[in-house]
Amino acid sequence: MNAVETALQTALEHLAPLNGQVTTPEDGRRDVTINAGDLLEGARLLLDSGWGYLTAITGLDHGESEGVLEVLVHFCAGAAVLTLRIRLARAGGELASLCVLIPAASVFEREISEMFGVTFSGSPDTRRLFLPDEWPEGVYPLLKESPAAAGEA
Amino acid sequence: MTAMKIEQAWNNALAGVALWARTNSPWVLHFNTGSCNGCDIELLAALTPRYDVERLGVKLQASPRQADILICTGPITRQARDRLLRIYEQMPEPRFVIALGSCALSCGVFHDCYNVVGPLDRFIPVDVYVPGCPPRPEAIIYGVIELLKKLHPVDVILEGGSA
Amino acid sequence: MTTHPDSAATPKRFTIPIGPQHPALKEPGFFEFTVEGETVIGATLRLGYAHRGIEKAVVSRTWVQNLYLLERVCGICSHIHSLAYCLGVEKLAGVTPPPRAQAIRVLIAELERMHSHLLWLGVAAHDAGFETLFMYSWRDRETILDLFEQISGNRVNHSINTLGGVKFDLTAEQIVSVLKAVELMEERARYYLDLVRNDPMLGQRIRGIGTMSAAEAHRMGVVGPTARASGVGRDLRVEAPYAAYTAIPVVVMLETDGDLQARFIVRIREMFESCRIIRVLLDHLPEGDLQARMPRRIPEGETIARVEAPRGELFYFIKSNGADMPERIKLRTPTLCNLGSVLALCIGRQLADIPMLLIGTDPCFSCNDRAVVIHQAGNREKWTWEQFRRYGNEALR
Repeated sequence: MNAVETALQTALEHLAPLNGQVTTPEDGRRDVTINAGDLLEGARLLLDSGWGYLTAITGLDHGESEGVLEVLVHFCAGAAVLTLRIRLARAGGELASLCVLIPAASVFEREISEMFGVTFSGSPDTRRLFLPDEWPEGVYPLLKESPAAAGEA
Repeated sequence: MTAMKIEQAWNNALAGVALWARTNSPWVLHFNTGSCNGCDIELLAALTPRYDVERLGVKLQASPRQADILICTGPITRQARDRLLRIYEQMPEPRFVIALGSCALSCGVFHDCYNVVGPLDRFIPVDVYVPGCPPRPEAIIYGVIELLKKLHPVDVILEGGSA
Repeated sequence: MTTHPDSAATPKRFTIPIGPQHPALKEPGFFEFTVEGETVIGATLRLGYAHRGIEKAVVSRTWVQNLYLLERVCGICSHIHSLAYCLGVEKLAGVTPPPRAQAIRVLIAELERMHSHLLWLGVAAHDAGFETLFMYSWRDRETILDLFEQISGNRVNHSINTLGGVKFDLTAEQIVSVLKAVELMEERARYYLDLVRNDPMLGQRIRGIGTMSAAEAHRMGVVGPTARASGVGRDLRVEAPYAAYTAIPVVVMLETDGDLQARFIVRIREMFESCRIIRVLLDHLPEGDLQARMPRRIPEGETIARVEAPRGELFYFIKSNGADMPERIKLRTPTLCNLGSVLALCIGRQLADIPMLLIGTDPCFSCNDRAVVIHQAGNREKWTWEQFRRYGNEALR
């Protein structure tokens, strides 16, 4: 087994207590689908054992028909990428903020909040990151039904 | 070599303009309304030794109250728009505007993005448009000179020609 | 930990807003600091001035159209953005670009790294009060822009990548130009390294300023030269090689002091390494095609592409649902990573330390877009970036 596979296996071992569903989307990556309530624990299991760093958080809207919003929390150790996947309802989704473990997570969380409407409870700063102050409440640009163009100025 | 010839003709042209321009030296305020920075770094490059736009008397100012010319880059994001209007209001008349780059002209590749409300002439009157993505420093300087010619219609003979 | 400025205010705390006009960088942004006396007790940021809405725009453009959009996320690191995008889409399509294309991609990437570092050198020098150094480094940068123009026709946004490979080949004449330029870059880098290491006045402005320890850098998830200046050897060209880096071992430049001087030194030393990589590349330039055939519809799947941009790890997540337009593209720039981390690091530090700490991360505002505000005891003072950095410089005297 090469170094990347070893690293991924190690990460999976750390995460075993969460009983997540493991998939391999491509070489060098493992995705672990976990319960929303387990996110903070999952991050802690990885970081406390010194596995990798938080590199990004991706929001993925599956649209009205599927009725699911996914939040992907990506951790990297060298070339290995371990992603915690959480499925949420498309409205009112809530996750625990990772800022207590990783202060820098704040910018990633704020982006997900304003783009998808997910709330990160316990977050030290819930203000918008990129969207202007006058952007209407409740309009989340990266949800599929949100309008694409700017419209009237 | 071709590259040398062009540079020499360009320098001759600039030499002809320099003296005239220096007596009407414009103070320029640069404002980025959400640009990718491509235009901004070519504008800054115009200040650096190879182009040295300061020999034309063009000076980059930090304050709207002392600027003659506003050079804007970017497709105008929502947040930038309000600040743009405030800056323009603070500039004393006579004041002039150069739209720099495809984004300022037409929003460029960002024309249908949700946070883009431009282009520039939707909000303030524009005197000179400099196309390019980004326009090279020579094009920017050319745009400034075109504006100066508009302000001070003097017969300027540009010596071009042989190396 | 970032703190909302309106939370639990104590006496002697004031806010200093800085921006959105940043005279040196000409980039918009908005940082916010809460201070008690001279010590920073809260730091956060507000972006949005250069936020255009690119992640929304990509889903209504074809895969090829997106190449032209994503090249323009940032004019300074245009190539690395399109490279990350191409690598991701090629992975989804199961297409491997020909070796000559892979090599040309790395050539441009390393030239871009050098031009970006020189750009930063000039801007950081300007911010430290060294106008001449700004002029020198930007003049030297022109040599690289000339190469971009020779090879691709444009100085900035050179658009060399296409899906499946590259658009432009290298002629024998261009190779000679590149090698000559590389020689000049090494000469200039030697000059800058000597200046940065030994000039007493410059040293005063950069030694011991904005220090970040290895443990802090590691814990905070800092990437790129900023991390390497603190001894954290993250470099994707080595950890997860892509394109022609799989055939060319890259030496990671590490410093351990973790101060602003170390950040200067790492970037200048990286220029030497870029020159070496370019020479090796051109010595072994493979013959062959420039492009592999790509399907118009990209097969269904999700992929992640991570590349080493001049500022650090650039992260692209790309999802296709089998159509001729992407389902989702998420991009996370190195600066967002570093800004979040560096701001957390500001807590407990002296305000005067902050301008150069921020500058040391080489923040590319258009990649993200930011600004600064400082809160103190119910007072809200508005500063420009110019005032902020001057405050930093003066406090050092």
